[in-house]
Amino acid sequence: MRKNIRVIKALIRLRFQNLMTFRIGFFGPFLVDGSLFVVQLMIFSAVYANVERIGSWGHGQMILYIGTFSLINAVNMVVYFFGISSIPWKVKSGEMDLYLTKPVSPLLRLSFERVNPGSIPLVLMSLVIIAYGVHKTGMEIGAGTVLSYLFWVGLMTLLYYDMEVMMRCVSFFLVSSAKMEQLEEACLELCMQLPGTVFYGVYKLIFCCVLPYGIMATVPVKSLVGECTPGTALHALIVTCVFTGITCALWKGGIRRYNSASS
Amino acid sequence: MNTQNIIDTQNLTKIYRRFQKKEGLRGSLQGLIKREYEEKTAVNSVSLSVKAGEFVGLIGPNGAGKTTLIKMLTGIIAPTSGSIEVLGYYPNDMKNAFKKKYAVVMGQKSQLFMELTMNDTLRLFKEIYEIPEAEYQASREYFAQLFGVEALMNVQVRTLSLGERMKMELIVALLHGPQVLFLDEPTIGLDAVASKQIRKFLKEINEERGTTILLTSHYMEDIRALCGRTVVVNHGSKIYDGGTEELFEKYQKNKKITATFDRPPYRREVEVPKEHIKDALHELMQYEPKDITVAEDEIGVVVERIYREEERQNA
Repeated sequence: MRKNIRVIKALIRLRFQNLMTFRIGFFGPFLVDGSLFVVQLMIFSAVYANVERIGSWGHGQMILYIGTFSLINAVNMVVYFFGISSIPWKVKSGEMDLYLTKPVSPLLRLSFERVNPGSIPLVLMSLVIIAYGVHKTGMEIGAGTVLSYLFWVGLMTLLYYDMEVMMRCVSFFLVSSAKMEQLEEACLELCMQLPGTVFYGVYKLIFCCVLPYGIMATVPVKSLVGECTPGTALHALIVTCVFTGITCALWKGGIRRYNSASS
Repeated sequence: MNTQNIIDTQNLTKIYRRFQKKEGLRGSLQGLIKREYEEKTAVNSVSLSVKAGEFVGLIGPNGAGKTTLIKMLTGIIAPTSGSIEVLGYYPNDMKNAFKKKYAVVMGQKSQLFMELTMNDTLRLFKEIYEIPEAEYQASREYFAQLFGVEALMNVQVRTLSLGERMKMELIVALLHGPQVLFLDEPTIGLDAVASKQIRKFLKEINEERGTTILLTSHYMEDIRALCGRTVVVNHGSKIYDGGTEELFEKYQKNKKITATFDRPPYRREVEVPKEHIKDALHELMQYEPKDITVAEDEIGVVVERIYREEERQNA
C-alpha cells in the first residue's frame, strides 16, 4: 500500500513536470474545460428553464443533481480518465508489454499516469453549483449529512471508474471497442440530464442495474436531501460491489488473454 | 527441472489463432456468418536452459519466434503448452518479486518519457522498484558514467539521438540490478558506432555484474561479438543451440580473396572454399599482386546458410 502511494505520487509529479514543459499546453485546458462546463450549464438552464419539477425533484434538487454529476465527472477527468482511455490503444499496439513487466499494478499505473490538472476548475465549479443548490433548497446541513454525501460521492466515483475500466477492457477480447465508448458517452449524456428517480420499468433496470449511470449522482443527492432509504443505500452498495468485482475479473481475464502485438 | 539453470523451458509452445478472411465483399459477408481461423505456431516445442552469467544470442529470421519466446520468458504472454521456469518462477503468474529480478528492453518500444529528462524519469522507476535512495544514487552515477551520458541526464529525452536513447533505455532497465536482462533488438536502427558502444557496455555489464543476458538481434555482429552461445530459431523451432564460434566455423565455408595488380586486370576478387585458401594464395602469388586481402564470408551469406542448412538437417 505504502509503495503504491509512493508510485502514485511519483506518477503525479512526473505528469505535472511533463505538462509544465509546455506553457500553453499547461494553462490552456483550464480555460477550455471551464468554458465547456459553462456551455453545458447553459444548455441545462435552457432545457429546464420552464420546468418546475422533474419526477419528484424540484429545481433546487435538480441543481444539486447536476452539480453532483459534474463533480463525479470532474474527479474522473482530473484523475484517471485520460490514463484509462489509453488502454485500448495500449492493448492494440502492444505498449501494454511495458506495463506488465514492471513490479507495480498495471491498472494502478495506467489510472494515475495521466492526471489532468486542467480539469480542476470543473471540480471547483461543481462545488459552487452544489453550494448554490443547497442554498436554493433552503436546507440546513449538518456535518453528518456532509460526511454521508462525501461517502456516496466517493463510492459512486468508484462505480464510475469501474464502468470506465470495464468498457476499455473489451479491447482485450475484441479488436474494436469504439462502440462501447460510444455507448458510454450516450449513457452519460442522458444520465447527466435525468436523475435516476425518473426511470421506471425496463429503463430503471437498465440505468440502475445493468448500466448503473442512473444511480451515480442520484444516490449522493438523495443522501443530501434526506431521501436515501436503506433500500436505496443497499442497492447502491451491492451495485458498486458487483461492478467492482466484475471489473477486477474482466481486467485479470483481459491480462491473461493479452497476446501482445507482433513487433 | 534443473534448479541450477536460471531459465528452463521444456517443449515450450505458443500457438496463435488468427482469422482468415476470404477476398472481397462476399468473403467479408461469409466471415460475418462463419469464421475461419488458422492456427499459427509461433514457438514450437522449444526446450532451452540458460545458466547464471551466460550471454546467449537468439537469432532467426523475421517471424521465427524470437520475440514470442522473450514475451513468454518475461510473462507478458502465457504459453499454450510446455513448461517454463525463470528464476524459479512461472513468468505468467506475474509476481512482483519475479518482475524485480529481471528487466526487458525492447528496441522498438520505449519506456522513456520523451518530454522529460532522464533524471526525472528514473525517479519513477526508483519508486516502482523500491530502490533505497543511496543505492539509487550510486546506480545512477555508475551507469551514467559507464555509458558516458552524465552530461545528458538533465536534457529532454526527445532531443537525444537514437543511440543515446538506447543507452538511456538500458540505464532504466539496469537501475534495479536485475539478474536477467532480456534484450530484444537493442541495436535496431543504430549506426555502426552506436552499436559498437552498446555492445561494449553490454559486455561489461555481463562480465562485471554477472548479469545473465538473452539477446535477440538481426545483426550477427552483435551476436558474434557478445554471445558465447547462440540459439538459432526458425519457424518457431530451435534448429541450433551451441557455441557461437562453432556455428560460424561450421557455416563460414568460403574466403574471399581480393588482389590488386599494377597491370590489367588491376583488381580481382575470388571466392574459394576455406580449405583451399592456401593453394589459391600460392597460385595467386605467381601473378605478382600489389596487394592481397582475405576476408571471411559476408555475414548475411552465413546467416542464410545457417537457416537453410539447419532447417534441412532438422527436417
